[in-house]
Amino acid sequence: MAEITSLSQLDLSGSYTYQDYLTWKFKERVELIKGRIFKMSPAPNRKHQSISRNLFGELFIFLKNKPCFLFDAPFDVLLSKEGNNTVVQPDICVICDVSKLTEQGCTGAPDLIIEILSPGNSRKEKKEKFELYEENGVKEYWLVSPNENTVIIYNLNNEGKYIGSKPYVEGEVAASNVIDGFSISIEDAFQD
Amino acid sequence: MPKITSLSQLDLNGYYTYQDYLTWQFKERVELIKGYIFKMSPAPNVKHQKISSNLHGLIWSFLRNKNCHAFSAPFDVRLPVSLKEGKSDTVVQPDIVVICDERKLDEQGCNGAPDIVVEILSPGNSSREMKDKFELYEASGVLEYWIVDPEHQDVVIYSPNKEGVYFGSRPYVIGDILNTSLLPGLVIDVKEVFDS
Repeated sequence: MAEITSLSQLDLSGSYTYQDYLTWKFKERVELIKGRIFKMSPAPNRKHQSISRNLFGELFIFLKNKPCFLFDAPFDVLLSKEGNNTVVQPDICVICDVSKLTEQGCTGAPDLIIEILSPGNSRKEKKEKFELYEENGVKEYWLVSPNENTVIIYNLNNEGKYIGSKPYVEGEVAASNVIDGFSISIEDAFQD
Repeated sequence: MPKITSLSQLDLNGYYTYQDYLTWQFKERVELIKGYIFKMSPAPNVKHQKISSNLHGLIWSFLRNKNCHAFSAPFDVRLPVSLKEGKSDTVVQPDIVVICDERKLDEQGCNGAPDIVVEILSPGNSSREMKDKFELYEASGVLEYWIVDPEHQDVVIYSPNKEGVYFGSRPYVIGDILNTSLLPGLVIDVKEVFDS
């Protein structure tokens, strides 16, 4: 098999596995959701990175000396209910079960995932990843909208379905239901 | 009492009622939430209006010959959240409303909670406005509150649980089909909502 050194060698409508993913040697960042390739933005914009830094920073301080692990992208998370064909790089994730951590990243559902939307139609975060995280039992999923400066927190209900909070806006505080005691003011989250 | 012909005659931190609102004769559009005045964008942008007309058209054509009515702004909706001495102090102009109880309709608009309220976000929306409206629709018993985000092209539908607390759906995106149990048979292709 020829070495894959460029994304253009791949069939974007084809189906791939994590094993394939591990052999790819191109620079572009991609994710694999149920075998399908999703390209990631090569360089997220500054606002995206500011928000990511703020949330990561607050979580970092909060989780110090606690038995949970915090990672930000690029960090591979393998979610493969069926087949070994899904690997994503969430903006931020928290994993409290150390047995899920491997040399390559995380195998299985993190406790909390945060995705910061990019401008335009972020269908991937709102549909493909939303359904993926729901199916795999990620207990809490934060969707952060830089455009309106809002955060919606989704939590799994008893039937394993995500239920969304109100959109938290400036003047309010977003509090986690999974990372007990963690909260952040919306102003702080969106501070440049 | 002098006639109010300019918004500048009013105290923006003051408390007003629907009775006051009815006497105002200035051009600016305002809403009253629990007695407080909220200015509305004078002219929503083209994208906002396109989405509003798409959605209004889709809902309107479905509701033809049915017992529910759809209206788009400017259309006054008085909400029974904080009646003081029986006077209404909350009147809003949602982008689109669906009302299935005809008794709520009067000459002035709608008196009571619509079944569905749709708000399309604008760049000018303040956090305060978003928060207040969310809590307002939740408290007044609006059965579904649709928040349409033109920038991220999605629709989140909030509906109350048994305790009356709003819970949000997955953000519906282009490629999705929108349904609501309130209007069985209505099928909205999200792509058509954001079509320009």
